[in-house]
Amino acid sequence: MIEMVRERYFQQLDLLKKCVLSFGELAELIFRDSMSSVIDLDITLAEKTLALEFEADKLEGRIEASVFDLLALQQPMASDLRLVVSTLKISADLRRVVGLSMNIAKIPGRMEGGHVKPLIDTGKMANIAAFMLENSLRAFETQDAQLAREVAARDEEVDKLFYAVWVELIEMMAKDTSIISRATNLLFLIRYLERIADHCCNICESVVYLVTAKKVTLN
Amino acid sequence: MTEAIQNVSQPQIEVENLNLWYGEKQALKNISMQIPKNSVTALIGPSGCGKSTFIRCLNRMNDLIKNCRIEGRVLIEGKDIYGPDVDVVDLRKNMGMVFQKPNPFPMSIYDNVAYGPRIHGVNKKDLDGIVEQALRSAAIWDETSDRLKSPALSLSGGQQQRLCIARTLAVKPRIILFDEPTSALDPISTSRIEELIMNLKKDYTIVIVTHNMQQAARISDYTGFFLMGELIEFGQTRQIFHNPQERSTEDYITGRFG
Repeated sequence: MIEMVRERYFQQLDLLKKCVLSFGELAELIFRDSMSSVIDLDITLAEKTLALEFEADKLEGRIEASVFDLLALQQPMASDLRLVVSTLKISADLRRVVGLSMNIAKIPGRMEGGHVKPLIDTGKMANIAAFMLENSLRAFETQDAQLAREVAARDEEVDKLFYAVWVELIEMMAKDTSIISRATNLLFLIRYLERIADHCCNICESVVYLVTAKKVTLN
Repeated sequence: MTEAIQNVSQPQIEVENLNLWYGEKQALKNISMQIPKNSVTALIGPSGCGKSTFIRCLNRMNDLIKNCRIEGRVLIEGKDIYGPDVDVVDLRKNMGMVFQKPNPFPMSIYDNVAYGPRIHGVNKKDLDGIVEQALRSAAIWDETSDRLKSPALSLSGGQQQRLCIARTLAVKPRIILFDEPTSALDPISTSRIEELIMNLKKDYTIVIVTHNMQQAARISDYTGFFLMGELIEFGQTRQIFHNPQERSTEDYITGRFG
């Protein structure tokens, strides 16, 4: 019974999905490299990462333009409409992930004297956030609401690690004021990681909505 | 069929297990529906799905077709219109109908609107008031008040259609049926008529057949999707267009078939 009478429209929808996934890949790369630049205090890598912000803006702009075109010219309905509207939200969340990664990449330049402690729990936070980013996008690609819920559930681990590292850093700064400047940067770092995980939760909420038409809070 | 609207309080129109045959061919299969009072209900579906056939069951226009056989019940305000003691003329007075192609009578604007009331025996002195009221309600008084004696056919297409609506309103129906009322009109005339329909629902119950899904989405409170003689889904328009329950409804409104 299904005959494809709107070939061009379906191609545009497909292109929009691909654009979002490309943006997701870029966000993953930027996040990964920004974390590497902090862990290794690699300023060259940090600068390379910062230069990618322009690319992210271009992709976001392209997604927005596609959404407006589809809405104005094709009048998507039902699940197509939910998809199109969700891509706007997901794109905004990805842009924030990129923005936060940019902030992370600015840290190596401010860490003269090296790290104040080994980044073990911070490293765990980053790994979970990277997992959440990769798999929230996979849930979007495969329209898997169950996966989206599972991914969002890991946010709790990130929050726990955040508070643990926060407390630890505060205690360290109280004992040794000479590390305050560098330790503050780590406080910012874990805050950025916690926010990145939150944005991944937002992406998961968008996926659940576009698949089930139900608005949920997974954060 | 998704039973989305079984708890309508005081439906004005209730259809129960309606079946219709043109000779051997079954055109409507077991249709059940409740249409609430003072609402706009849109019927959508691909060509030949039965939506126009269905709407013509509501005012028994199908009686005029040879070899047309109907089973089931259509209740208007609780009364079965296919019952033995029903006055079909009176039924059609209470059910206005507006067609796709504007069809003003070849007479003056005034006489078009006055025709129905005259036939139903309205007093001559009351006619002026009735004609004005009807033309105002159809949002065409301002354009015609200074030329009521002009031929109706001198009006534009959009104006003719509004005149036909005025003609319908003049006999004070309770329900108005529209069969693709704007498909022959330009976008501005279409918008005017859509605006008019949305205003009319304060006082009338409206059923509109349309192949324009965006129109159904814009103006209706409830939408029914017909396919091959069956009512596949019926529910609030917001829900039908946001999150339809049936796969074929989703496929139709997203253009995956048509």
